[in-house]
Amino acid sequence: MTTATTAPGEPAAAPSPSTSRVMETRALSKRFGDFIALDALDIHLDRGQILGFIGPNGAGKTTTIKILVGLLRPSSGEAVICGADCRRDARRIKKLVGYMPDRFGSYDNMRVSEYLDFFGAAFGIPRRARANRIHEVLETTNAAYMRDRYVESLSHGMQQRVGIARTLLHDPEVLILDEPANGLDPEARVEMRQLLLRLAAIGKSLIVTSHILPELARICDQVAIITNGRLRAFGPLAEIMRRVSQERTIEIQLANREDLPRAARIVDAFHGDAGASVSDTELMVRFRSHKSEDELGDLLRDLVDQRVRVSQFRELQADLEDAFLSVTREDGDRARIDAGAGTKAAR
Amino acid sequence: MGVFGNPIIAREFTNLLRSRRAIHLFVAVAAASSALVLMRWPSDAIVDLSGNQSRQVFRVFGYGMLATVLLLTPVFPATSIVREKNQGTLALLFNSPLGPVSIFVGKLIGALGFLAVLLMMSVPAAAALTAMGGVSPLREIGGLYALLALAALQNTAISLWISSRATTSDGALRWSFAAVLAVSVVAIGPHQFLQGRGTESLLSTGAEYLRCVSPIPAAMELMAHSDVASQGFESRVRAAPGYPLAALAITLAAAIATTTRLNYRIFDRARSQGVMTHERSRGEQWARRLFFLVDPQRRTRGIAPLVNPVLVKEFRCRRFGRFHWLMRLMAASAVVSLVLTLASTTATMERGVETIGGIMVALQVALIVLLTPTLAATLISGEVESGGWTLLQMTPMSAARILSGKLMSVLWTLLLIIVSTLPGYLVIVWISPESWLKVRVVLICLAWTAAFALLASATVSAFCRRAATSTTVAYVLLLSVYAGTMLIWLGRDAPFGHAMVENALRINTMAAALSVMGTPGFVTYRLIPDAWWITGGACVGFAVVLVLRARTLTRPQ
Repeated sequence: MTTATTAPGEPAAAPSPSTSRVMETRALSKRFGDFIALDALDIHLDRGQILGFIGPNGAGKTTTIKILVGLLRPSSGEAVICGADCRRDARRIKKLVGYMPDRFGSYDNMRVSEYLDFFGAAFGIPRRARANRIHEVLETTNAAYMRDRYVESLSHGMQQRVGIARTLLHDPEVLILDEPANGLDPEARVEMRQLLLRLAAIGKSLIVTSHILPELARICDQVAIITNGRLRAFGPLAEIMRRVSQERTIEIQLANREDLPRAARIVDAFHGDAGASVSDTELMVRFRSHKSEDELGDLLRDLVDQRVRVSQFRELQADLEDAFLSVTREDGDRARIDAGAGTKAAR
Repeated sequence: MGVFGNPIIAREFTNLLRSRRAIHLFVAVAAASSALVLMRWPSDAIVDLSGNQSRQVFRVFGYGMLATVLLLTPVFPATSIVREKNQGTLALLFNSPLGPVSIFVGKLIGALGFLAVLLMMSVPAAAALTAMGGVSPLREIGGLYALLALAALQNTAISLWISSRATTSDGALRWSFAAVLAVSVVAIGPHQFLQGRGTESLLSTGAEYLRCVSPIPAAMELMAHSDVASQGFESRVRAAPGYPLAALAITLAAAIATTTRLNYRIFDRARSQGVMTHERSRGEQWARRLFFLVDPQRRTRGIAPLVNPVLVKEFRCRRFGRFHWLMRLMAASAVVSLVLTLASTTATMERGVETIGGIMVALQVALIVLLTPTLAATLISGEVESGGWTLLQMTPMSAARILSGKLMSVLWTLLLIIVSTLPGYLVIVWISPESWLKVRVVLICLAWTAAFALLASATVSAFCRRAATSTTVAYVLLLSVYAGTMLIWLGRDAPFGHAMVENALRINTMAAALSVMGTPGFVTYRLIPDAWWITGGACVGFAVVLVLRARTLTRPQ
């Protein structure tokens, strides 16, 4: 399978060969009246990498994406894609970026080939090159068999693939995909994951938002976690995991239900708080801890000394979901503290 | 479950009442009906024993209320079922103990309740009219309200049936307006041409019965007007008693058809597998070549260079915009124009150029007013609603290119349809060569009408986020200009003076064309060139607003 590396229509401006950075935001902010949708966002992306953009609903993901693709004007700061400023170089941005919104944007009574033909013509790709290009992008996205189907009759997963084919038509440097795996069944999600990895392998840089974090964890080189318009974590996935794993989750599996309250008391005493959670159905005591390996060894010894029958004592492996929850929990705690301070100040 | 325990009635009714549009409508109806009565309210001590003044007001009031009901009835029920279907709430209703009859009755009464409140807004004016004397409160005022209620019932039932069959809200609106027009206006057409042919003519008798499905002849009878475009012949079938029967029969038929649709099969929609002609057997390929002038299953070529891609896209994604449909449309128009030519040749001899020319103008304007919003009122709002506008924004195409592609796609279709209806004028010019100048002026008026309808509908579509809303607003706007002003014309000389009618008609290029044609009732009004200037100015205004709005919509927010 081949994919053209030069634009079939007007050539898109390529980034300088001296740098591999294709996207960068500096102190990017957006306000809607008094509401701060985005607050001093600093992220970047290198060529051929995939950036997972994570955040709860209303966190500011779509606002960031709309600024990057030139649909929204930032209040301050700047966003640059391959050297083109998202605020000032709208025309260049359109050629450099392939954007797939969370809505497909279907047209009635149009076949897939006609749908792609229209967007190809809109991007100024000449007719002969356009036909070849449509064939290529449909092959790349494994959607060649759909070319004569009507777009409104396609399933959601098929529409997502046609949507990606559309973003690839003008051979953009950066693909920005808003929730590409949303609503897909497991098989279609696997296909989507493979497709995104294939696109990264041919040199495309991708920014992907998703709520399905395990999927993102498998494909992302970089992760940005955003809540309430603020960047909470940004960097390579492994680095974020390391940060999160400073506070580990420990699980103690018991052999006997009667031992559960006693085990929870021992754990709480060990920690000096009542943070342990007990699961009756799993016969499990769970807690989060900053303690070292030696200290945890002492805890296990205490449990055994006090005749608690422990069948397993293990650390739970952290994943992207934990990282996300950890960051959002911190954010929630901070919000509660701020609210408390505000209440005190009001008093 | 009884009618009063039906939860859909309360939901539909309160939802309609909650909207700001509802308040505007109520205030507008109350203000317009009161103003009408106040205009002719006796201001001196002389009592009008003949009741002439109140009868004049009663006629305009009656036609005005009838026009309001015909115009507003489809708006709410037409989107009622299809919107629930597309939002997924219809499936929830099917999953509840409510049966199809309860759902239908709930929606019917909900919509009718809203119309009842609307009609009640005019009751104070009607009461004042009765107080003026000369109008019977029970027989005439009561009869009028009964007629309006029947018209509302009939059209609501038809609109609900269309809503149950439609796939999109704006499509349902278009078909509902077309159905209301067909039932209320087109049904009168055959009687206009065939009346006075004698009892032996089956067609003439059929036409007399057919006109009973429309509330207009019944309203005319009620207001002691002569029959529709009467040529002095007396109809054997009275419309006033015939209409209630016809309306109830249509309502019942629509109710049965709708309730049989209200089950899970409503969600079934065949998905085309997109089989192309070259993938079929050799025999099928030959058959398709033989029977299809332009095969719709043939793989299309790419968009040609120098052609605006938006123009091609608009034609391709329109259900009847494909080339094979355009060919069929042209063929149908050719047949219609031949029939029209034949009819006008024979009828012109009998009734004169003025009458036949007037009918042709009215039919063409009706076609333009009915068709243009279906094409132009969703140009931008449809894209915004489907999410396609964001994709267009992401292409390097300028606002001007997008807009010109969209406008041209409608303009070509309108031109095609208007041109196919022109042969009738050729016959008029052949019969009466001195009419050539008149016909030229009429054609200019038609061109302005098409331009106004196109630009007004497109501008409305640029300000709405939903295709159904923009379609409704465009219809209301165009019908206000082209039908609303005709209501004032109906009250010419009384209660409205000559100057007022002339001023009102100046915004109506159809009236201008009719005055040029010398159609009876329009001869005394001098509307040209003022009508051209006013319509032209409005077109320029709409065009400027449209371009500015399109530029705003394509720029970053």
